[in-house]
Amino acid sequence: MSGKAFPIRGRNEVIVVSSHAGRMAREFGLDARRAGELAIVVSELASNIVKHGIQGEIILTLDPDSPPYGEITVEAHDVGPPIRDLKLAMIDGNDDQGPIDPALYLRRGGIGTGLGAVARLADRLEYRDEEGGKTITARFYR
Amino acid sequence: MDQTEVPHVNVASSRLQSVIEALSYASVDEFDSCLALLQLSNEKDEFSELETAFSIFVRELGEAKSELNRALTQQEAANRELEAKLETIEMQQAAIRELSTPIIEVWQGVLCLPVVGVVDSQRSAEMTETLLETIVSKQARMAIVDITGIDVMDTKTADHFIKMARAVRLLGAECIVSGINPGIAQTLTHIGVDLTGVRTLRSLRDALQLYLRETEQLVVQQKSHFARRDSEI
Repeated sequence: MSGKAFPIRGRNEVIVVSSHAGRMAREFGLDARRAGELAIVVSELASNIVKHGIQGEIILTLDPDSPPYGEITVEAHDVGPPIRDLKLAMIDGNDDQGPIDPALYLRRGGIGTGLGAVARLADRLEYRDEEGGKTITARFYR
Repeated sequence: MDQTEVPHVNVASSRLQSVIEALSYASVDEFDSCLALLQLSNEKDEFSELETAFSIFVRELGEAKSELNRALTQQEAANRELEAKLETIEMQQAAIRELSTPIIEVWQGVLCLPVVGVVDSQRSAEMTETLLETIVSKQARMAIVDITGIDVMDTKTADHFIKMARAVRLLGAECIVSGINPGIAQTLTHIGVDLTGVRTLRSLRDALQLYLRETEQLVVQQKSHFARRDSEI
């Protein structure tokens, strides 16, 4: 098992980590579509770190021995405030406070569908509140 | 205490003087001159032992110093290399930022937005913003969004993408989406996106041809209109 951590500071790191994830997935044997989906999930989680996380990192881990055929885990850890209402935040067009006014999309830097996309595309999604931060873990099975 | 019991060493003041000079050379890092001065005396007495010890000390100090200087030079070279690398990284980052949403005016009034890489919800929002602003500032009549380079999109992002195309229409321009691949076509139909008002073409080339054909027709129409008016007069 080999984990690689990417500190996320801004949009550049988002692009770098997501393209790295896509490459990694193809090398791991995922098809182009699944690899693209992983890249999107990584990109969404990294964007969220930039927007809400204050400071954080993405850890990509390959585990070829995880049953049955191996998996890739994406851990997004940041030191930002916890997601107040996870169920609400997962609904498209919402953040954890409720619906987002479309007029604010751009000032907010998004359309509120990031977590929804992560949930749709990943095989498994876990959320964990921690002392001084939070971690979202998305898993992709091979 | 009896003075005679303490052994004395008689030293010519010139030897003492040269040791003092040697010390002052050593203090300004002139180790070679310092050593030359110390080796001048050929006498063998107790004071010469001090001179020898002193010269060994100075030689070692000199070697340590030059070693340090070598290391410093290497360090400086490494630093310069690192700085050059950092500069390259900064330039590449700027390039990444520019490349993330390049809008090209391929023809007068025709904008092209080639989309490559990963499209997430935030990038989709940024692209919408940039494209709509550029359409207004360049007074464009047509925008071609080419997504040949995109393998996969989340359903909601795809939905937002199509909304961008419709927003372009509201600005009085036409939006063509070209290069949709089978996967994204399935995504779009799967979520039942309303595609009315959005023209889709197979490739960027088809989109440009369509534009040229239409402007040609426009010119022909205008010509015939003017011709008719002229004949009426």
